[in-house]
Amino acid sequence: MTYPLLPALLDTLLPGDGADWPAAGAHGVAARMDDLAAGAPGGSEALAAVLEALPADFESRPPEDRETLLRRIDADDPDRFARVVTAAYNAYYTDPAVRDVIERLTGYENRPPQPLGYDLPPFDESLLDAVKARGPIWRAVPEE
Amino acid sequence: MTESADIAIVGAGAAGLAFAWKVAAPGLKVVVLEAGQPVDQRRAPSLDRDWELALQTRYNANPNIRQGPADYPVDDSDSDIRPAIFSAVGGSTVRWGAHFPRFRPSDFRTASLDGVGRDWPISYADLAPWYDLNDRMMATAGLAGDPGNPPRAPRPCPPLPLCPATRRLAKGFDRLGWHWWPSDAAIRSTADGARAACNNCGPCGVGCPRHARASADIAYLDAARARGVEVRAGATVTGLTVKGGAVTGLRYADAGGAHDLACAEVVLAGNALGTARLLHGTLDHPLLGKGLMMHPTAIVTGLFEDDLKSWRGPFAASLVSQEFYETDTARGFTRGFQMQALRGQGPLTTALGGYGLPLAWGRAHAPAFTQGFGRSLSLTVTCDDLAEDGNRIEMHPTRRDRHGLPVPRLIYRVGENSLKMLAYGMARAGEALCAAGAGQITVNPLSRNAGFHLMGTARMGTDAAKSLADPHGRVHGLVNLSVVDASVFVTAAAVNPTPTLQAIALRSADAMQARLGLVRKETA
Repeated sequence: MTYPLLPALLDTLLPGDGADWPAAGAHGVAARMDDLAAGAPGGSEALAAVLEALPADFESRPPEDRETLLRRIDADDPDRFARVVTAAYNAYYTDPAVRDVIERLTGYENRPPQPLGYDLPPFDESLLDAVKARGPIWRAVPEE
Repeated sequence: MTESADIAIVGAGAAGLAFAWKVAAPGLKVVVLEAGQPVDQRRAPSLDRDWELALQTRYNANPNIRQGPADYPVDDSDSDIRPAIFSAVGGSTVRWGAHFPRFRPSDFRTASLDGVGRDWPISYADLAPWYDLNDRMMATAGLAGDPGNPPRAPRPCPPLPLCPATRRLAKGFDRLGWHWWPSDAAIRSTADGARAACNNCGPCGVGCPRHARASADIAYLDAARARGVEVRAGATVTGLTVKGGAVTGLRYADAGGAHDLACAEVVLAGNALGTARLLHGTLDHPLLGKGLMMHPTAIVTGLFEDDLKSWRGPFAASLVSQEFYETDTARGFTRGFQMQALRGQGPLTTALGGYGLPLAWGRAHAPAFTQGFGRSLSLTVTCDDLAEDGNRIEMHPTRRDRHGLPVPRLIYRVGENSLKMLAYGMARAGEALCAAGAGQITVNPLSRNAGFHLMGTARMGTDAAKSLADPHGRVHGLVNLSVVDASVFVTAAAVNPTPTLQAIALRSADAMQARLGLVRKETA
């Protein structure tokens, strides 16, 4: 399904920061969001309903107005709107270019957790010296 | 001609597979019937870029959302906590974090010690040998010497590592003078055979392609098959047949249709919901389904100013504090709670709120993500729940699943004692995170999705009027029907029940072997 206002909706939900983070609609995640919404219970219906509630000139309105409008729609039916937000986040945060941004800003590598995993040093038992020094804190129970 | 088995076990999860392995003996036909299918964890979603989406869909813990082929609906409209169960060979351990603590001795004696709940007909000491055996089978990682628990045999693996975030939390506990200890975990920290060592990838809940994280299938399935146990996947047990105070067999459905299986012994291990469904209509006991206990859980999250890369390491297995585990009536409640560290999550899960509310959409979103991702650490407050009068599992009067079985109703409200405990615990968890250096604290006062521990709806005891099963899980009044899952629990404790329910299953299997005159050489 093609929704003309979906990029503007996405740009309002995830506008980025004008520097590192791209705006979701301009970045082009609309089609993937539509797909992911369709894969969730009630997702497509929620997306269609929210888009239907938008005025025809939504795209041309200032960002503050668009945000105010969406907050009103959110308040009308929070569960429905939450499905749309989830689909938007799903599409945005699994986008390879967005993951590149995350890697650059945080060091979280743009790869699956496996097979590489992450290195951590072995457990250092000396960290427990203070805990051990306190002695047992469990309650003994007389056995029958 | 009707097929027959010596022992039929319903459910190939944590309890069912452990029981099957232990009870198996030469010449004995042991059949495990499992509604779910095997899961090839070597191809787990953590190998894919979209692994976080799997947590919302096919690995969603809630069967009402997941709606897989083996799932049955659960009516949770009258419950504060939603169900979190998984249908597969391996059961819910396929979907778990592998935190692997034992109950304490006092958990078995709450009536004698604290005047609440009931005493178990068995003690910690009674179970200890089977806890040890299960530790060896699951390959538990951990460290001896915990002052919060009785002395015990060394774990098969050394403890899992801390990360910078959990090291900081440990120092916070030290500053407060509170107990902490590295988690017992059913996760290999060292390699052994086909199981590699954990490589700290994080999302244990989508299965482990290294088989470092144990699940019942990884730990017990091959060993059980080697002893001749047959596991039938995709087989949903739809009813038991009873004649004259004994079970004569069961009915099950699979892709080939409906089947009858005559059985000398039937063992239920389908978790409290599945077991209650089968006992319903079989057993007429006023306590059936009553006294449901869960683990009401609050989650307190701290945000740190510096980048801790807190996504590294098993998400639920790093360290715990049991400082407030035992009763201190000055706190205003009876019994206690555990605090368990939860590491940071992946980017998408962070945006969706992780353990709390989703990050705000709009212009505030990008800054909020940057401030939170890799800088968060959470503590659960997991309460020892008392068996409240009204909390129960019932069968829906009209709703049926695809097999015609009644849809179970989860009826559960957090009790007053647990509410007081949660409030107290959230304050302590916040203190601990502040002591660790967190600058911003957020609180989820009750995790609605924490319905993973369902206990006490067919509790064990010696008095048939006050319990459903005997101390070995044999149902009173039905000589060859046993229950070995957490349905038989008498109290909930404040920790994951899996090691305890597996120890009970192993002990019950040994008792059944002895009763049937079958003696295997090795014992617990």
